[in-house]
Amino acid sequence: MPASLTAAQRKALQAQNRAIMELFESRGFEHIRPRILQPADVFLEKSGEDIRSRTFLFTDPDGQRELCLRPDLTVPTCRYHLAVAEDPQREAKYCYRGPAFRFHGVEDPLQADEFEQAGLEWFGHENAAAADAEVLGLALEAVRLAGLSSPRVMTGDPGLLRALLHSVDMPQRWRRRLLMRFRRPEDFRATLHAMAMPDEGGRTSASDLVDRLAGAENVGPEEAVALVERELDSRGLPLVGGRAVEDIARRLLEKAQDRRTPPLPREVVTLVEDFLAISGPMHTCAAALEEIAHRAGGAMEQAVATFAERLSLLPEDGGTEFATGFGRSFDYYTGFVFQIDAEIAGRTIAVGGGGRYDDMLAGLGGPDVPACGFGLHTERLLMAAGGA
Amino acid sequence: MDRRLVIALPSKGRLMEKAQALFARAGYDISRIGHERGYRGAIDGLENAEVAFLSASEIAHHLREGKIDLGVTGEDLLRENIARLEETAQILTPLGFGHADVVVAVPESWLDCATMADLEEISEEFHARHGRRMRVATKYLRLTRRFFARHGVTGYRTVVSLGATEGAPAAGMAELIVDITSTGSTLRANHLKVLDDGVILRSQAVLAARNEAAADPRVQEMQARLSAALKEG
Repeated sequence: MPASLTAAQRKALQAQNRAIMELFESRGFEHIRPRILQPADVFLEKSGEDIRSRTFLFTDPDGQRELCLRPDLTVPTCRYHLAVAEDPQREAKYCYRGPAFRFHGVEDPLQADEFEQAGLEWFGHENAAAADAEVLGLALEAVRLAGLSSPRVMTGDPGLLRALLHSVDMPQRWRRRLLMRFRRPEDFRATLHAMAMPDEGGRTSASDLVDRLAGAENVGPEEAVALVERELDSRGLPLVGGRAVEDIARRLLEKAQDRRTPPLPREVVTLVEDFLAISGPMHTCAAALEEIAHRAGGAMEQAVATFAERLSLLPEDGGTEFATGFGRSFDYYTGFVFQIDAEIAGRTIAVGGGGRYDDMLAGLGGPDVPACGFGLHTERLLMAAGGA
Repeated sequence: MDRRLVIALPSKGRLMEKAQALFARAGYDISRIGHERGYRGAIDGLENAEVAFLSASEIAHHLREGKIDLGVTGEDLLRENIARLEETAQILTPLGFGHADVVVAVPESWLDCATMADLEEISEEFHARHGRRMRVATKYLRLTRRFFARHGVTGYRTVVSLGATEGAPAAGMAELIVDITSTGSTLRANHLKVLDDGVILRSQAVLAARNEAAADPRVQEMQARLSAALKEG
């Protein structure tokens, strides 16, 4: 759309955005202008290779630094906060509007390589459930202000699966493996079921070494390290590739321990699958989650209580859906996530999204600070609201 | 009158020798125009056509840009350099030479790492431990992205490497590599090993044509004659 904007459309977009920013500012969010040019490293380290393949990267004219055009405004806002805040842990509320860039390589006005985001980020709030609810409420107010009468809201919470897995008895390395595969439903399912089988099956070229470790009388960290050292030494292998002997030994030991670990009980498999099947209107899901929490106990009860608290604070809105599997493809979110969809010319397309990302500021070198926020795709919003 | 066809052949090395020998067996004599190192040539047995001598990677680029109609190059270069290959060009015939595999290779000292599933776990641990992503040195950005995504490995960064890629881990430039190998000896010499399920592509030299040229009777005849020559050995 940007290239072909008529004068009337540009005026409509400006009016829409002015109203949205006024709303954000009236609720105490400071209007900031984070940099468009960003160091590439930050984005590449925070996002996976899939974002990298959509990010415009280049080197400065001196050939010194790798830079990028920001693919979103959340990371630039975090960097701004860490750069200017006297105490980054103290509460801060920012809003912004400006261009973001993602390569799609297609002639489609809904997937323009350059688009505009308006959004807000809220750091260091006291009550996470209340902040989540307020942030979603503001996003909905903003899209209604833009003229979108019936936005559809989809929500999820990747933190719930983490809590569920911590409530049931299994080795920590299995939890890690499952959480890592949450993004890919088929692999997740295959991994879960393999854990319930007496033997995890398939031999690989590492199996012989694992056999030797598993067959030893004492199997502990020292034995594993000694085995790795002997093996590297006798084969004359240099230690390259940024991993220490201990890293290699620990994973070999885990493989040996896997051989001795009893399979995951069937009822745990069923519990996890029942959990992942939950989807529908939020209130219905709350009841289903209560039932899961009752079966799982532990950390899951607390997590579901937080879910219920947040639900009670959310704006009354019949259109809000939830699914335990939603949010699996989002990169950095740690808790509540949402996406707002609208119809544009017969296509369902996201006009905004956001959620909770409590690990981000620490990951950028700052302290632990709770964080949540969202971004709206202003041009899609205008089209969805019928202004273009 | 037929359209003028431009066919590109490798300009140097074993790929050139093998291609010329095969074309000669199929009844196409190729000669360079001008001095011996000229970049244009003539082809006997193909009407209204000219030959361009280019490097194998230029041939892939020129096919994508439509500067040539058909050419002989490595399948690896086609799949790497043309985003949606089937929309642009098609592979007509594998030519039985230039065999090499594009593989994922990790340090041999990674005794615990045998599969892409191991690599997935290691990439997550690496990020948690070092606060940065594991780096993959390669010139095959597209093939790497597609293969790694299919195996769920997302926590990594590619580092472009245009030469001596196999030395990158020892030099501390990357943790692992995606590279082409025919015998594996260079990998072994650099203490690298191919993962059990780490073969991305078994590549060889191929005859490929732009989609709009593939139906040309002269191209179809060339495909048939090359296939027959290959069968005769």
